[in-house]
Amino acid sequence: MGGIGSLLDIGRSALLAYQRALSVTGQNISNVNTPGYSRQEVLLGALPPQDDGTAFMGMGVTVQEIRRSFDGFIARQLYGSQSTLGRYQVMRDALAQAEGFFPDSSDAGISAGMSDFFNALQDVANNPADLTARSVLLARAQTLAGRFNDTAGYLQAQQRALDGQIQQSVGEVNTLAAQIAALNAKIGQAESGGQAANDLRDQRESLLRDLASRINITTLEDGAGQITVFVGRGQTLVSQGNANRLIATPDANNHGYVDVQFVAGATGTPVTISSVIADGRLRGLLDVRDGTLAGLLSSLDTLAGDFVTQINQVHRQGFGLDGSTDLAFFAQAGLTASTMAVNISDPRQVAASASASGLPGDNANILAMAALQSQTSTVLGGVTLNDFYAKMTTDLGTAASQADQGLTVQTAVQAQLQSHQAEVAGVSLDEELMNLMKYQRAFEAASKVIVTTDALMQAILAMKQS
Amino acid sequence: MRVADDQLFEVMTGNLARLRSQSLITQTQIATGKRVVRPSDDPIGFGQVISLKATLSTLDQRLRNIQFGQTRLAAADTALGQASNLLARIKELTVAAGSTTYSPSDRIAAAQEVRQLQQQLVTLANTRVNGQAIFSGTTTDQDPFLSGSGDTVTYQGNDDVQSIQIGDGQTVQTTLPGSLVFAGPAGDIFQTLKDLLAGLETNDTGAIQAALGGLDAGLGQITNAQGQVGALENRLDSAAGSLEEFKQHATAMLSGVEDSDLTTTLAEFSRQQVAFQAAAQATAKILNTTLLNFLG
Repeated sequence: MGGIGSLLDIGRSALLAYQRALSVTGQNISNVNTPGYSRQEVLLGALPPQDDGTAFMGMGVTVQEIRRSFDGFIARQLYGSQSTLGRYQVMRDALAQAEGFFPDSSDAGISAGMSDFFNALQDVANNPADLTARSVLLARAQTLAGRFNDTAGYLQAQQRALDGQIQQSVGEVNTLAAQIAALNAKIGQAESGGQAANDLRDQRESLLRDLASRINITTLEDGAGQITVFVGRGQTLVSQGNANRLIATPDANNHGYVDVQFVAGATGTPVTISSVIADGRLRGLLDVRDGTLAGLLSSLDTLAGDFVTQINQVHRQGFGLDGSTDLAFFAQAGLTASTMAVNISDPRQVAASASASGLPGDNANILAMAALQSQTSTVLGGVTLNDFYAKMTTDLGTAASQADQGLTVQTAVQAQLQSHQAEVAGVSLDEELMNLMKYQRAFEAASKVIVTTDALMQAILAMKQS
Repeated sequence: MRVADDQLFEVMTGNLARLRSQSLITQTQIATGKRVVRPSDDPIGFGQVISLKATLSTLDQRLRNIQFGQTRLAAADTALGQASNLLARIKELTVAAGSTTYSPSDRIAAAQEVRQLQQQLVTLANTRVNGQAIFSGTTTDQDPFLSGSGDTVTYQGNDDVQSIQIGDGQTVQTTLPGSLVFAGPAGDIFQTLKDLLAGLETNDTGAIQAALGGLDAGLGQITNAQGQVGALENRLDSAAGSLEEFKQHATAMLSGVEDSDLTTTLAEFSRQQVAFQAAAQATAKILNTTLLNFLG
């Protein structure tokens, strides 16, 4: 039967329960700015009543569960969004950098270099015997070759930098996978008693999002609360407490740039997954390195090669002031953007004249060279040199602007998903303050129950004395 | 809907940052006056900017070419005009010397004047522009006409011409070879003068009469050359006119693609400023409304 003692027990249970409720509220308030923290809720329940023979008497209150407010469905959508966001971020940054290599708006680019070169040819045509005009032409040609060399150099340097970032990202993926596996093991242990390991789960969730921003993942949670993570085409990166790893292997067929490979266990055969990574920073880095930048370099090489070939072909037919003929204007070996170089060094060697007898006033050959400016080339797909270059920059601009727009859209999507998750999992200070007051009042009332019980006991004791 | 504090801050800072970056872009457009600076600002527009800039650069060069050509043709025009005057004077002397009133010594005196005029004509035929002979064909580094012994003048140049580029695949000749002007199909002027001088000094009236015919043919030839030079000058003038017109058109097109419209941009900038101020004020107000303000 429940006596005064049980009243004390009820009061004690309430004090303990509200103390825990206040701790949880405190935990929520203190983590209001912790990224990835999920709000925790105290679920109170009445203790099982006892039959005292006449009725079921309540035994007080207890904390049944401290529940983590979290929406697993939104969390999985967030992984996908994080991957796309990661991809667009690296693409936008890398392409914005690449755009800087084409300073044509300020006349410092290859297009202005070509115009200056062709104009200098015409100045020589106007004054074929004038050494100054010829020297200017050689200087312009060197500037142009230099711009081709520099642009190719910048693009290659950026490819190398992106290659470094790929290797770094692979390392980060491995670190994150190992941490997730370790947390899997801890969560498995902690939850074997039936209690949710809320803060460990929050930590793992943050790591999964970090991982997703680097490589797109799919996840599966088993009954023990452990998450299996798949990457690429169903390769198991994390399973329970074990993590496999990715490696970055140089590919001799791709300038020694790395391929991303998956290795199962310590001794598994590496499987190349570069092409099946669908999203995330790694996809963006691979796409810019092997797609946009490689494409620009190859177009630039085509342009440089065709330019050198066309100019040399005409130049060889002419005669220099010194009677030289069959000379290459640009080094014949330099048919790529990075190797383009001027071959002749003596301004008299500029073959302006179409015949030896026409020296020094004949300018028919240099006029033929100048005419190449407006001629279309089959090598360039039936457009002129300058139009080919303009199209290259338009393609780069389109790619950069698509990445920029993609990033804007994905940032909005991400914000939307985060706000959904925050609606469930985020901490609202106002709400916590109200909980604080609510639990404080309850705690005070429970104290009152104990004080009252004490008064009752005093009364009983007083009866005995009198 | 529940609003978490973290989310509130994130949304508000996100909004302010976005408005700031938008107005930064507009500010750059106002400062540079350009709408297209990077390829991604307007990919198609950037391609057009490259094409139009190359076009403008080419147009400028062609106008420069035409200036060169005009200088050369104007010099030729002047030289031919003076040559024509010289020949007219020689013709006067020849007509006078052919008359029966002239004594042999008068003819020798006339020969001296003709010889001087012949030398002046050689000088004219050796006219140079920027150090390059203009009646020499393409051997522009040497005098095309060389005076030798016995009043002979020989042509050392060739029959080629120099041209300049004035359009895609269009060139215009800017020189006439001396062989055509002074020794063309109608006869060799210097040979005529040599024969004339010999006739005057040997008192050979038949040779003097024959030289008159040669002089007429020579005058005709020079007038003809002047006509050709005039036609070439006209062609360059009209080409320059249409190039200038095209240049204005291309400049306007470039400006249309590349330049930012200041009125629109400034209006946009004010709009962004208002939006930013509103957002900032709202943020300040929202951050003030918390339950903490009302708890004792």
